[in-house]
Amino acid sequence: MSISTSPPAPVVETGARSSDVVRNEPPIIVFENVTKVYPNGLAAIQDASFTVRPRDFVFVVGASGAGKSTVIRLLIREERATQGHVLVEGQDLARLKHRHLPRLRRKMGIVFQDFKLLPSLTVEQNVAFAIQVTDPGRPHLKEKVGEALYIVGLEDKLLAYPTELSGGEQQRVAIARALVHRPRIFLADEPTGNLDPDAGWGIVQLLQQINHRGATVVMATHNREVVDLCRRRVLAIEDGRIVRDEAEGSYLRDGDAIL
Amino acid sequence: MNPIPALKFVSRAAVQNILRNRGIALASVLTITLTLLGAGIAVVVVHALDGVLQTEESQASVLKVFMADHLAFASEVNLEKNLGSSASVATSSFENKNQAAAQAGSSLGLTQAINLLEKSGAGNPLPASLNFHLRNIKAVSQLNREVSTSALLDSGPHPTDYNANVIPRLERYIFVAQLGGGLVVGVVGAVALVIITISVRTAAFVRRREIEIMKLVGATDWFVRWPFVLEGVIVGVISALVASIILLGFGFGFGGGHGLALGVGLRFAALTVVALVVAGGALGSLGSFVGVRRSLAT
Repeated sequence: MSISTSPPAPVVETGARSSDVVRNEPPIIVFENVTKVYPNGLAAIQDASFTVRPRDFVFVVGASGAGKSTVIRLLIREERATQGHVLVEGQDLARLKHRHLPRLRRKMGIVFQDFKLLPSLTVEQNVAFAIQVTDPGRPHLKEKVGEALYIVGLEDKLLAYPTELSGGEQQRVAIARALVHRPRIFLADEPTGNLDPDAGWGIVQLLQQINHRGATVVMATHNREVVDLCRRRVLAIEDGRIVRDEAEGSYLRDGDAIL
Repeated sequence: MNPIPALKFVSRAAVQNILRNRGIALASVLTITLTLLGAGIAVVVVHALDGVLQTEESQASVLKVFMADHLAFASEVNLEKNLGSSASVATSSFENKNQAAAQAGSSLGLTQAINLLEKSGAGNPLPASLNFHLRNIKAVSQLNREVSTSALLDSGPHPTDYNANVIPRLERYIFVAQLGGGLVVGVVGAVALVIITISVRTAAFVRRREIEIMKLVGATDWFVRWPFVLEGVIVGVISALVASIILLGFGFGFGGGHGLALGVGLRFAALTVVALVVAGGALGSLGSFVGVRRSLAT
């Protein structure tokens, strides 16, 4: 995919959803009977199977401790599946050698609830950091950083420090940092968890924009409003099991009561 | 990956890390300086002691074999040839009776007594001798055992000048000095390594978020590790230089304006500084390597 300040060649028609497009491409993410049991005996994921097509936007929803974050951790190979297979772009992560892990991570943009910014660096430096530690000789570093910050709407905050920004702005910086590698897959683990509703909605819109630009987005969340407003694909997890997979789902199954 | 920008980034990151965590860096420099100073002092003292012992050893490594009177010249030559061919003998020389008298006269002040004895008709009482300079003090006892029962030697109570009290004791001193010096340097080196490992582990812990982000955005393990390794090298080398300056300062201070104390030569001092710098750099890099490993594993 390509991210630029000029309008990108649309992967999908304006206003259309990426999942509407008929595609014959193989899935970009495959979970095949995946079980993850942590050393303390907790089965965070149990026999989970699903696929994600390129340019899909998927919400992974569930209560705290349901196993949403474990899905993300398995996808970035921070954890290995105890059983089953996790495939990203056809690569079985269980067979991925440790030295090839950085290559996998560079294909992915990852954001977290706690932003993971370096407080001693400016916004520009935080975003540039992702390039400097992976490809320090890459030309036009400044332009690429500026481009990523333009996409997230922070081009005027280059010299600000994270502590001078609101939570929403900090998450945007984290997204800009994740974008500089032009990832094909964008993973977000509770990106709105620390934000007020308006800022959270802004982040989700930004992720949708990134999805429209061609990236596959997987977002773990328990933000019901956001999921219900977007009406995108929903994978619901309960006690580590995938209990629902809906193309245009809501946070709760129709008819379920909010406790 | 282009090595030049990578090197620039790693160097800048290492320096920034040191400046950003200057408290920890300063504590590391201080502790490593102290340990390297200890190692340097141990090396210098062992060297000085070794010098003293070497002097003693070289003086004690001469075995004087007293020849029987009226021994045929051919027998003396044969004995010198036989014993001199041993691998432990560095050089050998013959000292005739007159030379022995002159030597005793000058060194012991016995000229008058010897003259009186010669005038009385008793002749020169001092025996001719073969002087064997041995390569190792341990060979003195062995050569003494080999030669002392020979019929060609003086039949008196002391056919050689072997001192059964001095030589074994000197051997023991040398062994203890070498062993002790080696142990001190080894222990101090191990302590320095542990300190560097702990300080880098602390630094890695302080910067765990940075490491976590580097790994998440796809930095290789080596790219994460290099700034820490370089930081360890910088801290180690700075510590070694500070330790060297202190060591040289004390050396010249106690040298009384006539060079370095304890008879340490400038060449050895320069070698010690180089060794400390190399050791500091090596300890720093090794300690960093070990210290950051846990952060990379998690």
